[in-house]
Amino acid sequence: MASPRYDAIVIGAGHNGLVHAAYLARAGRKVLVLERRRVLGGAAVTEEVFPGFKFSVCSYVVSLLRPEIIRDLDLPRHGLEILPLDGTFTPMPNGDYLWRVNDHARTRREIARHSPLDAEAYEEYGKAMAEQGRFVKPILGMTPPDPSRLGPDVIRKLMFLGRRFRDLPEPDQYNQVQLMTMSAVDFLDQWFETDVLKATMSASGIIGTFLGVRSPGTAYVLLHHYMGEIDGAFRSWGFSRGGTGAISNAIAAAAREAGAEIRTQAPIARILVKNGGAAGVALENGDEFEAKVVSSSVDPRRTFIGMMEPGVLPEDFVEQVTRYKFRGSSGKVNLALDALPDFKCLPGPGPHLRGAISISPSVDYMERAYDDAKYGRFSRRPYIDCVIPSLTDPSVAPPGKHVMSCFVQYAPYHLKEGNWDEQREAFGDTAIDTLAEYAPNIKSIIRHRQVLTPLDLEREFGLSEGNIFQGELSLEQLFFLRPVPGWAQYRTPIKGLYLCGSAAHPGGGIMGAPGRLAALEVLKDLRG
Amino acid sequence: MQTPRDVVIIGAGHNALVAAFYLGRAGLHPLVLERRPVAGGAAATDEFYPGFRCSTYAHATAGLAPKVVSDLALDRHGLELIRPDPAVFAPTNDGRALILYRDPTHNGRSAQSIAQFSNRDAERYPEFARTLARLAGVLRPLMLKTPPAMQAPALGDLWTMLGAGRAMRAVGSKDMFRLLRWGPMAVADLVAEWFESEPLRATISASGIFGAALGPWSAGSGALLLLRAAFDPEPASGVCFVRGGMGKLAQAITGAATQAGAEIRTGVEVAGIRAREGVVTGVTLASGEEIAAKAVICGVDPRRTYLILVDPTELQPDFLGRIRNYRSKGVLAKVNMALDRLPSFSAVSNLSDPARTLAGRIHIGPEIDYLERAFDASKYGGFSTEPYLEAVVPSLSDPELAPAGKHVMSIYAQFAPYKLRDTDWKAQSEALGDTVVKTLARYAPDLPGLILHRHVITPADLEQQLGMTGGHIFHGELALDQLFSLRPLLGWASYRTPLRGLYLCGSGTHPGAGLTGASGANAAHEFLKDWKRKDRA
Repeated sequence: MASPRYDAIVIGAGHNGLVHAAYLARAGRKVLVLERRRVLGGAAVTEEVFPGFKFSVCSYVVSLLRPEIIRDLDLPRHGLEILPLDGTFTPMPNGDYLWRVNDHARTRREIARHSPLDAEAYEEYGKAMAEQGRFVKPILGMTPPDPSRLGPDVIRKLMFLGRRFRDLPEPDQYNQVQLMTMSAVDFLDQWFETDVLKATMSASGIIGTFLGVRSPGTAYVLLHHYMGEIDGAFRSWGFSRGGTGAISNAIAAAAREAGAEIRTQAPIARILVKNGGAAGVALENGDEFEAKVVSSSVDPRRTFIGMMEPGVLPEDFVEQVTRYKFRGSSGKVNLALDALPDFKCLPGPGPHLRGAISISPSVDYMERAYDDAKYGRFSRRPYIDCVIPSLTDPSVAPPGKHVMSCFVQYAPYHLKEGNWDEQREAFGDTAIDTLAEYAPNIKSIIRHRQVLTPLDLEREFGLSEGNIFQGELSLEQLFFLRPVPGWAQYRTPIKGLYLCGSAAHPGGGIMGAPGRLAALEVLKDLRG
Repeated sequence: MQTPRDVVIIGAGHNALVAAFYLGRAGLHPLVLERRPVAGGAAATDEFYPGFRCSTYAHATAGLAPKVVSDLALDRHGLELIRPDPAVFAPTNDGRALILYRDPTHNGRSAQSIAQFSNRDAERYPEFARTLARLAGVLRPLMLKTPPAMQAPALGDLWTMLGAGRAMRAVGSKDMFRLLRWGPMAVADLVAEWFESEPLRATISASGIFGAALGPWSAGSGALLLLRAAFDPEPASGVCFVRGGMGKLAQAITGAATQAGAEIRTGVEVAGIRAREGVVTGVTLASGEEIAAKAVICGVDPRRTYLILVDPTELQPDFLGRIRNYRSKGVLAKVNMALDRLPSFSAVSNLSDPARTLAGRIHIGPEIDYLERAFDASKYGGFSTEPYLEAVVPSLSDPELAPAGKHVMSIYAQFAPYKLRDTDWKAQSEALGDTVVKTLARYAPDLPGLILHRHVITPADLEQQLGMTGGHIFHGELALDQLFSLRPLLGWASYRTPLRGLYLCGSGTHPGAGLTGASGANAAHEFLKDWKRKDRA
């Protein structure tokens, strides 16, 4: 075997794989990143799907990217520029709307229009959630302990968490336990009375999850989306100039500068195991690369079942991997537009189009959308979260034209009848019909459309069952249970094989935390 | 001024009576005040039609805590428990039936029935039963312990947690992770990890949704399955009747409490709990009479206690806000029927002994999706047109309940939400009864012609008759955020309240899982700790 020898091979050049590689390379390790697709970035990717129209094909907004990663990797110098995403606009069927913006006074007036009580509560709520974000922050920067092996490290971590909780003021303790256990709607019911406000806020609790807004456990997903921080401001979301692919490119640039080698169009056939330890990888074209460490940023199913010989892993472990839940619940509709959509309730091209446009008119609407999915069909009237990044970043569309990115939920990966190849266009039509109820001109301004079903997300981006978080963020798959109990420390039963993607703690979104934390564990082990 | 009583107990539900017993045994003479003409709360037997008697509300115990049964010597007070076997009869859509027996590990009868649907499930069932029993063994001791104060752990709390941690570690890391995973899981996912056939999945998952505003796909329903298992570890979750109906249980506990020194007055309604400067001073009756007491133990639910009985100026606004957010909207209705004879279930017509087959829990809910759909309607303020039912024919094992050859049938119907949209239960009560009969008739076509009398009890009736806020049979939702150290509220899971001298002992406290007596026993334990300390001081 004549190929060069590496310290580490990273499977997949998604943002986590790249963060992982960058940290290893910065520590002086020789790193090779192998990506199956012709472009790097994984689900954080910008592609010119139609000539002149550039789309953040999958993930389309950013907030969760850990500040320490931006700092450590000096990402702004490598081209990362975050543009503000201002506000959330929710059109309502009765001709009214709810439009929250980053300007506090204005949002307060707007909410007061619906309910003066809620306007008061909104301020309190914002403060309370920022507190929760601060409380959770160190957990995002921590490798989860393994509670079944009570060593000094585990006790130290559990004590640390216990003390932090004990030291919280009482109201924050309440909020914390409630966020860990309640449904998004039950949680929000305690704060607000305006249905459309609760519906739109609860949407953060179901994104990427096969649960309804009234299902216990969704308050945690709500919190997960509150952990975001841009320039020190919690809960702010933004676009990356040039699309989310620009984030991946910036991280890749940082990794390359530190010495990492990145190859695209290098699909991996299997992970090589020698004497019970990872020894390298074999590509589909037969090339083999040796390394001391193999870190996989793809999900556990693809890693352990797709890339390993049967019998190498303990049966028990394989069983746990098999039952790890993916259950993709969303699709994506990307539109190339000739003009801007015109909303009946707030006509004209106003600033309300510059933020998120949320089709979430009522809690019951959200819940009914889930009911459809529970029985194996896509929502007849889905929850849709749209952005028009070309308004903020004109470079992504030809002059005067626009790109609109629509995240559509629910779209269950497992359909009861038919298959996604048959239903793709019907799914796209449903999304457009839904939007047309609020912005009737939408149908006449669509120049091109790209519909991505959960099956497409799986085929094209390697996300098993189309789950955007590489596995559900349900309580039994979090922290020391993610991805499987006993293996939440990024290590695997194969020595030298690590997981560094969203399937590891703390989970999905363009966060980078799993990639970084896994790198710290790898470096610890390499030092011996 | 009268000399204050030592302790007044509000309500004579089973938990309050259990608490009264323990106080009496410790040498106190608690005065128990009950609004209704009989003691027992939801444990009651009534002649609802001439010659027909049945357990009006609860029709079976959830597994009385064995310690309570032996401490109170309930058998000496006339308690006789009946555990029918087979435990469960679950007819399916295609005219077959799943029949589960007690003692799943030692005989092949359950397996034989399961094998009709899946051989693989039949093989796995005993292992599931053993696993559940092991996990239940870890949880059982916690049911009779005061939950640790998570928010500010003291030494005793650490001891409890350490004990729980040790018990968990003793079962090994695999079971420990199971406990951590199963609790927050959706029970539908949990059973799907073990079984492939719908009838078995649905029958077992019923334990995770019974009495709760949860469908089998709701996360956290796994915790309810575990909670129920802690009192009755058999996965079939069969019923445990009381001979003579649940009223006999009330009589037995009343007998034990009285003998121990408690005084029970019925037909006495408490209108308020009096307090001065944060210390409880007694109760005010609806008649206007005041009874002074050094301590008050309250068996009614937390919302009624804090929002109606206690003067709001005695409580902090934050605390009141949290209690207002305590969820207790019930979803369970009850239908009692007098039957001319035993209905013929199509699925048993080919079995040799229909009377025996139908003696346990009759589970109507053949598929997970069926149960989930039944739940769906309730989310939007309607009741399901195809409800999930748990029916029993107690007269099969206790013939005295009905005239010879005739029977009584008692049915829990879920999901019937406390709050109906655009209508109310007065208008819908009979429609619900019709729905229940129609649903049963799908499996027992001759049933409608056999009904001599029917009595529907809606959540609104439960609230009005038993004083359960929202008609919630567990005094508050059994959801992850309202269990263990969080029941009823974080910081107030020790049976104590913000008012010195006032304690809670009802199902709105840990463990709160139906007729077990555990809440009453735990509350009495905490009360006596404080009482003895005060004595010494």
